[in-house]
Amino acid sequence: MNTYPSPFDHPFGTVLDRDALAERLTAAAGWEAKNRLLVQLARELPALPDAYRDDEHRVAGCESTAWLVIDRQAGRLLLAADSDSRIVKGLLALLLTAYHGRTPAELAGFDFEQWLVTLGLQRFLTASRGNGLRAMARMIHAAIAEFSH
Amino acid sequence: MPMNAPFPAVRIRDEFPVFRHHPDLIYLDNAATTHKPLAVLDAERDFYETANANVHRAAHRLGSAATDAFEGARHRIATHLNAAHADEVIFTRGTTEAINLAANSWGRANLRPGDVILASVLEHHANIVPWQLVAQQTGAVVRPIPLGADGNIDPAAFGALLTAEVRLVALTHCSNATGVLPPLQPMIAAAKAAGARVLIDGAQGIAHAGVDVRALGADFYAFSGHKVYGPTGVGVLWARRELLAHMPPWQGGGEMIDRVSFDGTTFAEPPFRFEAGTPPIAQAVGLAAALDWLDRHDRPALLAHETALRDRFEAGLQSLDGIRILGAGTARGPITALAFDRVHPYDVAQFLDGYGVAVRVGQHCAGPLHQWLGLNGSLRASFAAYNTGADVDAALAALATTLDMLA
Ligand SMILES: Cc1ncc(COP(=O)(O)O)c(C=O)c1O
Repeated sequence: MNTYPSPFDHPFGTVLDRDALAERLTAAAGWEAKNRLLVQLARELPALPDAYRDDEHRVAGCESTAWLVIDRQAGRLLLAADSDSRIVKGLLALLLTAYHGRTPAELAGFDFEQWLVTLGLQRFLTASRGNGLRAMARMIHAAIAEFSH
Repeated sequence: MPMNAPFPAVRIRDEFPVFRHHPDLIYLDNAATTHKPLAVLDAERDFYETANANVHRAAHRLGSAATDAFEGARHRIATHLNAAHADEVIFTRGTTEAINLAANSWGRANLRPGDVILASVLEHHANIVPWQLVAQQTGAVVRPIPLGADGNIDPAAFGALLTAEVRLVALTHCSNATGVLPPLQPMIAAAKAAGARVLIDGAQGIAHAGVDVRALGADFYAFSGHKVYGPTGVGVLWARRELLAHMPPWQGGGEMIDRVSFDGTTFAEPPFRFEAGTPPIAQAVGLAAALDWLDRHDRPALLAHETALRDRFEAGLQSLDGIRILGAGTARGPITALAFDRVHPYDVAQFLDGYGVAVRVGQHCAGPLHQWLGLNGSLRASFAAYNTGADVDAALAALATTLDMLA
């Protein structure tokens, strides 16, 4: 039994689903409103408990640090994440919205990058900016593939 | 140009075509790379149109025109640096390759187990890692030159490190991360007196200070073309002729040999010994044009202009909360590095980019310096000839809005 607080106690992917987030992002017109919304989403994502902010969960990026926790319960993917950058943390909130609490079957064929493009966030996917996010989406898909076996 | 006239930055901006394509760009990332004036673009294009051929193989007229252009560039660069001889100028890909050349050639020939290389905590990774690699190969050790509380090197503390084992001091002309200017003259003098060689990383010095390698007294000076209004892909290692004469080659290939046979190969004299393969010919011509372009301006007025922009920026920062200027209490070049109490530099830069303000965030390839500062990263604004007071004011306004938004 671990006595740590659960890192999965957050609203993204459960209370807030893809449609709800898509609506908020589409309503945010222009880069400034979108950036502000990402900062707002970061505020709505509780801090990852310290116990998980370790090397095991760290995803190194050049300009900011992020942590990603992946687990599985009752056939569902559980995700938690955090970053010292609020914009990155806002993007991580989107990542959680897309994947947290879903079954591998529900996620089959889901393309996170494509979803960000439809949300008007393609500027976060450029070669210089998108590496960390892409790496995390890949880690999640690798975990899904492992669960499905 | 009359002395003491203000530097004509607004007019000079017109010489940089990038601002025609990006008229609203507020480019404060000059320490990463500068933009290129028409004089440089024209020189490269003119070379390709009128003289393009490979160098030093002139059995035809273009070949000799190309060699003349390339060797002419070497002479002009030597003149700019006040080098005693043009053959003291070795073309490289940039600062990084220049330092790797010094480390591999001079270092492997001269370093023995137990020898010490001193590199300051201010250094860019390019002036640390090549020395660590050569230390691994030779049994030498690399030791840090520490910083005082002001973020600069204390010459007395440095003097105490100059034991008999010290063979080389690797020192930046200007910190790329904080702009801090270490006390070069006393440090070079002390190192020389202790019998050590000195390599100055001039990547951030060359565009701002007038560099006179003979007056400086160091043994090596390295810089990149692209940080001094010149092309990417070319840089220079300057070293004294006597030193180069005894340095072995480090890369093998064409151009650098005297005679090759399978019984043994003899090598060309410097600088060719260190320029294996086809060099960056058009880029060398472009770099010479960049230095000529700089020399056509009143350099003290240019530096005063850049420093005034930095000071105007820093004065404006005083009205914003939660910002610390790194190295504020010591001599600095036209660079302002910031640490924030409550926000992440990456977030600030994301908003600034939206407002058209280009800055750099992160550790700027200066990991040891950021460890010393106790920071994961910082935000850097760096100023150049074409920046104006309006750029600074717009950057300050964008920064104020950004901090409000992130509050
Ligand atoms: C102080 C310093 N040294 C070395 C370098 C490396 O220069 P380059 O990448 O052009 O080889 C840089 C560039 O960022 C620098 O600022």
